[in-house]
Amino acid sequence: MLKALIVDDEPLARARLGALLRELNQVEVVGEAADASQTLALLEQLGPDILYLDVRMPGMSGLELARHLARLPDPPAIVFITAHDEHAMQAFEAEAVGYLLKPVRKEKLAAATERAQRLSARQLAVVAAPEPRTHLPVRNRTGLRLLRVTDIICLLAEQKYTTVRHTGGEDLVEDSLRQLETELGAHFLRVHRGALVNRAFLEAIERSDDGSYFARLRGIAEPLPVSRRLAGELKARL
Amino acid sequence: MKPLLLPDFCAPRAVLLVLVIITLTALLLTLAAPGPGPGFWGELARRQLFLIWVGLTGAALLCALRPYIAARGALTGALLVLAVVLLVVAAVSESAWWILHSALFNPSALLGRPPVTHSLFLARNLLIGAMVGALALRYAYVTQQWRLNVEAQARARSDALQARIRPHFLYNSMNTIAALTRSDPARAEEAVLDLTELFRANLDERRNLITLQEELENARTYLRIEQLRMGERLRVHWDVAALPMQAQIPALTLQPLLENAILHGVSKLPGGGEVHVDGNAADGALVLKVRNRMPLEGGGTHAGHGIALENIRERLSLLHGGRSSVTAGREGDEFVVQLRFPVVEAPRTNAG
Repeated sequence: MLKALIVDDEPLARARLGALLRELNQVEVVGEAADASQTLALLEQLGPDILYLDVRMPGMSGLELARHLARLPDPPAIVFITAHDEHAMQAFEAEAVGYLLKPVRKEKLAAATERAQRLSARQLAVVAAPEPRTHLPVRNRTGLRLLRVTDIICLLAEQKYTTVRHTGGEDLVEDSLRQLETELGAHFLRVHRGALVNRAFLEAIERSDDGSYFARLRGIAEPLPVSRRLAGELKARL
Repeated sequence: MKPLLLPDFCAPRAVLLVLVIITLTALLLTLAAPGPGPGFWGELARRQLFLIWVGLTGAALLCALRPYIAARGALTGALLVLAVVLLVVAAVSESAWWILHSALFNPSALLGRPPVTHSLFLARNLLIGAMVGALALRYAYVTQQWRLNVEAQARARSDALQARIRPHFLYNSMNTIAALTRSDPARAEEAVLDLTELFRANLDERRNLITLQEELENARTYLRIEQLRMGERLRVHWDVAALPMQAQIPALTLQPLLENAILHGVSKLPGGGEVHVDGNAADGALVLKVRNRMPLEGGGTHAGHGIALENIRERLSLLHGGRSSVTAGREGDEFVVQLRFPVVEAPRTNAG
């Protein structure tokens, strides 16, 4: 039987969905999570095949979480659940992504489980598009954890990875700098080809004796080189 | 049957209006036909004295007869008012005639030259009374109509602005109730009753203005439902005991602020958070404050937040003119909304 994980921040909503799923007996409910980080932890532990995922949650939303899940090597199928999020519902319908409305009806739950599918990259791109990233999942020795975007100081392109320097240290992510730039949006500025800087941490653009430019960042001792081409534009924005 | 829109002649405002009409009429008559007496001012004073008797007696009678007239249709009412005016004019004219014909006075000197006969004097006064009375009635009708129109427009605007329950809240509440129906039917029943009460407050258009006590009750009802969903993640602190509970407030002024605090604040904090509702009243003004911790990401004012605030601002301003204010903004890591408006105690009625 398929293993199912229920993700919703409301205990009563989880309880009801769990009871319905047990009655339907199509899947085995192996766990419940109240937010995105719990979900990521349980995902590694329990390896569920299908996720019943609430769209609106504190911290990272269900849509953003789904985008991260899609990058996993063997992502689970997803059934979205929402009370009334018009934009999300429009996107689900446009991309034929399975979703259920709260309060969930038993027959519809059965049908959605029957049809549940892994989302394609295209579907995910459309469904999660309006959501600006609030968290970045990073993997280190202690496992997968969610880094708040507001804690990121800068992102530096390496050969195969991107280094993320944040208030709590340094981590690696697999996403390319270009991809991150489009997903993180206007709060991050490109200072040269290989570096993206969080505006909130940018203190000054300085010019050294030999005529090259540097960016001074709060929380990082050594200055970051700035390309000549971008220096003027950056100074104007500061 | 539309009743006659008659000013309240028991009120100082209407009495003042009567005095103004009297003065103008006296001035008009004197300007048109200066009498034989001791010059313009003397003539004016005499006519004014006569008319004050007519006006004040008429006003007193209309004040006493108001309930009776108000129960009639517009046309009957207007004719009744005119009849009262003519009756008073006749009575005062008769009294004046007989007093002036007593031995002390020479009527022809006082009532105009050429000397008028008794019946001509009466007929002339009645005709003037009928015309001025009809004009005054028309004036009262038009102004009253205009005022009602303005009030209706303000009410319609205020109704349109009244906060509506957000669909998200309804569906989530129904989901909670569906869950409780299985696990805890007694609490499910409570939730249904709370939700009903909240909808009653939301849909009842006749009760636009309620007491602070009722609005606090609406807010608590709303919070009981949210509490079911959010459990200990939602912590609300009240400090409103010292407020004048009979003060008037537009229905659903406080509730949308709490909804915003939860929707854009507490519900986005993984560990939940506090909402503080404080209030104080000083110098005839009531201050209500809602504070909540802001989520770290996506700070700033949300669009939905702004709309609700703008609605409340406008509804308070329709009610109190420029004497109300709504301020909102960040204070440290909190979002604070403050309402300030004059305390107007609700009239004590038994209408529930």
